[in-house]
Formats: sequence, C-alpha cells, structure tokens
Amino acid sequence: MSKCDKQIQQICDYVDGELDGALCAELEAHLKECRNCRLMVDSLKQTVVLCREGKPEPLPKELEAKLSDALRRRWEKKFGGKKT
Amino acid sequence: MIERKLIQLAQGGDFNAFNTLIAGHKDKVYRLALKLTGNREDAEDIVQETFLKAIDNIDKFRMESSFGTWLYTIALNNVRAHAGKGKRMPLKPIEEYLPSGHSSDVDELFEWGDPHQVFENKQLQEIIEKALADMPIKYSTPFVLRYMEEMSVNEVAEMLKLSLPATKSRILRARLALREKLEDVFRERVHE
Repeated sequence: MSKCDKQIQQICDYVDGELDGALCAELEAHLKECRNCRLMVDSLKQTVVLCREGKPEPLPKELEAKLSDALRRRWEKKFGGKKT
Repeated sequence: MIERKLIQLAQGGDFNAFNTLIAGHKDKVYRLALKLTGNREDAEDIVQETFLKAIDNIDKFRMESSFGTWLYTIALNNVRAHAGKGKRMPLKPIEEYLPSGHSSDVDELFEWGDPHQVFENKQLQEIIEKALADMPIKYSTPFVLRYMEEMSVNEVAEMLKLSLPATKSRILRARLALREKLEDVFRERVHE
C-alpha cells in the first residue's frame, strides 16, 4: 500500500485550521479509515503544543548590564558629542 | 507614529530614543537566538552583535518595515553566521516522514497519549531545544517564527524573503522532523 503522501500537506493545513471545506471533508473521511493518519494528526498537534509550553527565558541580568555598556560605547563612537 | 518619531530622534544621535526603541525587543531577540542555536553563549553573542549592528546601521533604516522586523532580520543574519560554524543534521524528504498507509503489515505510528506522563516538562523542553538546534537553520527558523513567535505564514515568508510555498514546505519539514524526534524518545522511554 502506498504511503499517504496526498494527505500529509493537507494534514498540516488541517491541524492549523487552514484546510478548505471540501478538502477538509475529504481528509476527515480518510482519517476515519486510516489510523496512522489519525496518529499523525494527533502528534503533529501535540508537537506544536509542546513547543509553545516552554517558558520564555528573559535576557540574563549580567548580559543586560554588559550590553548597555557596549551599546553606549558604540553609540559614542558613532555619534561622538551629540546628545545622548 | 511614536516609533517613527523615536527612530528619527535616534537617527539624529539621541541614545535615549534608541534605548526606548530596543527596550521591548531585547528579550525577544535573545529568545529567538536561544531557540535557534540551543546555546546560551551563542545567543548572548547574537544579542550583542544584533544591537551593535543596529547602531551601526540606524541611519540607513528607511522605515520600510517595522523597527522590530528590521531587528529580527539583523538577528537572523547573525544566527545564520553562528549556525554555519556547527554541523547540523540534514532533514529527510517529506515523503520519508509519512505514515505507511492502510496495510496491516506496515509499521504503525506510536500513540503518544499524554507526553507529560512520560517526561517532565523541563525534559520535554530540553528535547525540543536540542532537536531544533540540530536541525538546519533554514528549517528551524520558519518553524520557530511560525509556531513559537506566533507569526503568520505570510509574515514568515516576508521576513525570510521566501515564496509562500517554500515557506510552508520548510515549516512542514521542520514540524515532521520534530514530531518524529519526539516520537522516537517517547517510544524509547515507554519500551525501557
């Protein structure tokens, strides 16, 4: 049996809610029959959910201070005695 | 309008205006660099290089995009330069990530269930971080912009100067590769 190559692009659009009506109905009919594609839909959804669960890391405080110094030096070099 | 005024002031040499402009972008640039390099030292270098380049080029900024988009573009160029130093695993063609159809003698995909029952969230994030860092930057970048920075496909395409189909294809390959990586570790853990 051939792979579900027609479905794969549709599956990604489907899980992002971007698949058109007729194609969506066609894919849902396929999903009822194909366990692998159902598992693919579920795991592709979860992949993105898991990626979004990561807590954003703020800029480390030490870097913030180092960055401010470096930016001021570069600014003074570029603009010299202009208003800062 | 406020951003436009701040840019004009910064272009005239007002450092305070420049600092106001970048204040909301420092964490974002760091987060983007960290996700794409998976390495804090590299991410810190990229942040510093990005804002120094922004100073060097502030007078050339023509306001054809938002200031944030311009900064992101500089940051992504720096990420590319850093990524070029390390080896990354090439991705397979899309068809090799596909499930194998309806036949009873083909491999079944693994049923994930609830991944949090298998790994703690911190471990899951480390797995994802490493998988993205191992991926060629041309795939991880559109994926991260689309799903972790919450940009639309059109915005990603515009930022990366790619066609819409090329952008969608790269996002798809990254998503399939990441899915497969996660599936491998879940399967491995459950069968331990």
